[in-house]
Amino acid sequence: MTHLTLEQLVQLREPGLEPGVSSLRAHLAQCSQCQAEASRLDQRSARLRALPALRPARDHWSALERQVKVERRWRLVRRVSWIGLAAAAGFAMMFAIRAAGSPSGPSRQIAIDEAKARSQQLEQLIQSYNPDARVTDGRTVRVAGELEDRIALLDQELAAASRLDPRGREAQVLGLWRQRVGLLNALVDVHMTRASAVGY
Amino acid sequence: MTDTYVLADAPALLARARAGDLTAFEQVYRAYEVPVYNLARRICRTVEDAEDVVQETFFEVCRSIHQYRGDGSLWGWVRTITASKALMRLRRNKYRDADEFEEELHRAPRNDSGLRMDLEAALERLPETSRAVVWLHDVEGYTHEEIAGMMGKTVSFSKSQLARAHTRLRRWLGEEPAA
Repeated sequence: MTHLTLEQLVQLREPGLEPGVSSLRAHLAQCSQCQAEASRLDQRSARLRALPALRPARDHWSALERQVKVERRWRLVRRVSWIGLAAAAGFAMMFAIRAAGSPSGPSRQIAIDEAKARSQQLEQLIQSYNPDARVTDGRTVRVAGELEDRIALLDQELAAASRLDPRGREAQVLGLWRQRVGLLNALVDVHMTRASAVGY
Repeated sequence: MTDTYVLADAPALLARARAGDLTAFEQVYRAYEVPVYNLARRICRTVEDAEDVVQETFFEVCRSIHQYRGDGSLWGWVRTITASKALMRLRRNKYRDADEFEEELHRAPRNDSGLRMDLEAALERLPETSRAVVWLHDVEGYTHEEIAGMMGKTVSFSKSQLARAHTRLRRWLGEEPAA
């Protein structure tokens, strides 16, 4: 008589009637040796379930709590940083629109001077904050870098505009300076928000 | 699957956890840290791997608690995350695959005559994949379909690993029938 293999006994423990299973069950019902083997299989599984639980040697909660808090800060910074970028884009758009309807003649030159002065103030504020000397996460660096790149492009456009005919360039220059102020405002927001988020 | 670990006042606790209350998360952690570690340790080869799985599991629970809709038990959800993380770690482990098991299977008989271990030692000695399958199936109560899904393998693979694991356990425990 051919007895059931362990693989077949394992198969018989599963619900369902796959092809050939009924003949295996018929054999098991009348073979005491296979019944004993099936019983040992069940007992082994029961002994596995009865093994005592292994317990961690150390508490992980404090490390986990730190990890969750760091994750939350990152999410906050990421959200606020993207708001900063969106705000910068909004500022740039707004100033460009305002530039189209900006004053003419001497009043336009005054507006340009005001934008230049505001731009300098914001740059001084960023310098006094000294972001290079501070601990910065990767996302803040990336967002700040994108804003700085856009400011650098604006500076190139300003340099190009200065080489145009003075009669036609004031409106364009005013628009560019106002965009620059908007981007610098956003850059200040990114640095300051990051600082408060990490506890400076 | 049976739910062995039930949290007291789970709905209120979950509401607080979903709102980001860390003390609620700590209660979830305290309730499940032992079963999560036990499951991770039964599947992973080393204590360090199991501890990493514990950390990864609870971090995932914290991040994804809003995705738990309460269809099944909270422990069932946490357990599935644990099993997935532990199996993912096995896949990253170069010693985890079936080829290694086959190699072990052919190598093992030469030293096993007269060998008799206790169950804990025999379980520990099983190759990682078959140990994971036997634990998930016989102890945690997962079906072969569920195990196959978590491991990215076929149902036949899971069944075959289970039978092979029992074959080896039987031999190492000295339970083979007399010839």
